[in-house]
Amino acid sequence: MERAGRGSATSVTIDPDLCMGSGECVRVAPAAFRLDETRGVSVPLPGAPSVDPALLAEAALGCPTRAIRVGGAGDG
Amino acid sequence: MSEGGLLTSYSATIVFDRYDDIKAALFDANLSRTFDKRSYEDGNIRSGIVSIAHGAMHRARRRIENTQFRADVLRLYERELFPRVMNALLDNLIDRDRVDLFPIGELLSVVLAARRAGIEYDPSSLEDLRTLVRHVDVFSQGSAILDAKDPDAVRKLVRATYAEFERDFVRPAWSKRAALIERVRGGELAADELPHDILTVLLLHREDLALELADDGPVVREVATYLQGGTHTSAQTLVNALDLIFATGPNHAAIVDRVAADTLFAQRVVQETLRLRPTTPKMKRRAEARTEIAGRSIPKDSLVVLDVVRANRDPRLFGADPEGFDPDRTVDPNVPRWGLSFGAGPHQCPGRSVGGGFPIPASFEVADDHVFGLVALELQAVARRGVRPDGDRQPERDLRTDRFTRWLHYPVRFERLVRGGPLQEDLRRPLRELPEVPVRGALDDP
Repeated sequence: MERAGRGSATSVTIDPDLCMGSGECVRVAPAAFRLDETRGVSVPLPGAPSVDPALLAEAALGCPTRAIRVGGAGDG
Repeated sequence: MSEGGLLTSYSATIVFDRYDDIKAALFDANLSRTFDKRSYEDGNIRSGIVSIAHGAMHRARRRIENTQFRADVLRLYERELFPRVMNALLDNLIDRDRVDLFPIGELLSVVLAARRAGIEYDPSSLEDLRTLVRHVDVFSQGSAILDAKDPDAVRKLVRATYAEFERDFVRPAWSKRAALIERVRGGELAADELPHDILTVLLLHREDLALELADDGPVVREVATYLQGGTHTSAQTLVNALDLIFATGPNHAAIVDRVAADTLFAQRVVQETLRLRPTTPKMKRRAEARTEIAGRSIPKDSLVVLDVVRANRDPRLFGADPEGFDPDRTVDPNVPRWGLSFGAGPHQCPGRSVGGGFPIPASFEVADDHVFGLVALELQAVARRGVRPDGDRQPERDLRTDRFTRWLHYPVRFERLVRGGPLQEDLRRPLRELPEVPVRGALDDP
């Protein structure tokens, strides 16, 4: 599981086995995700947990394989 | 067992027509697009292609193929490559005041679809482009075989077309790319100097067993799939957009003028068209295992029919008059303006941003790097040339399929050409007279 650093409110992870590199998350929240072109998958950036939660939620909802997990404080 | 000419049988048929239910079905890992392999292996375009693949192999293919649909590639296509190609072709093809727009739309779309697919062709050769369009027409019948009126005839035609397509367009490109890949592996060429297209990435990665590309057949069919997918929907949507505009009656000329002047409005017209006239009005899935959607039990081997047309007309999401054509409508901010026409979930159309562009925010404010989509540019280009319905000749739908959104011929006239005079001047003059396109990141039409 690709995991970004945890902030006070959220953690952001992407399951690389599920991700198919559509790039939707990068389009919606470029401050939270980038594409790793060598593997063809998206990965969360270190600062992802501090990105606007609404954008993170939109990215997670828009992911075609539901590979993104956005966790709140206390879960993970 | 044969059902309507297809080697397919189902334990039950279950229909969904609500937006949320269809979306849930499209995300359900137990529902696949693999219906009955025997139906596709007999020469059909779909055997072993990404469109009907399922699970890990599907994701592996999409990972390498999605690299051809990155935002920077889309911007390069629509800001630099496509306007030049499109206008040169339109100048060449609109050689009189009355023309059939559907084949012109196909020729416009096939140029870049062929480039993205990675086949060997001459983009300046109308003969090459027309041959490719003929192939696309056959492949489109193959991709819609579940709705074909004579599936056996379609299979036979697709099989013959495949052989010709492979011989004339794929093999020459394959040889060139294989040689270039060898040079990259030998350190003579940098990897970023390879062509950027589907065939190249398939050949580059084909030793990855997860891709299931060891045989040549799936490689050829995959390339054909991207050629067909990149051509057919765009051409049909261009014609459907004009058909909806013309159906507004006396107001149509004002709408055409607005399209000509405003790229973002042209894109809204395209996305509204996609909502009302989806290329696949009823998507189909097969239950690989028992599952449950919206509280309904779906037995294994069920045929699940997803009525996208109904879902796309849900008044809770698309407003009080969802049947109407209104590019300015307010849409629920959580749904795209095209509804479910590009699907959702793992099989969401990889080329949706090529044809339809990026989603349009509810505010209609778009960023400088917004992608408008090629169909909006095509629509705007014909609008700027003064497109009008041809009152003397009727459009002709494609009756070989039950899909109501498909056309064979769409006669139009170009008002400014009626006055005669040199073609170049007549077509170019209105462009200079138009106001600046009132959106940031607007595209120039050289």
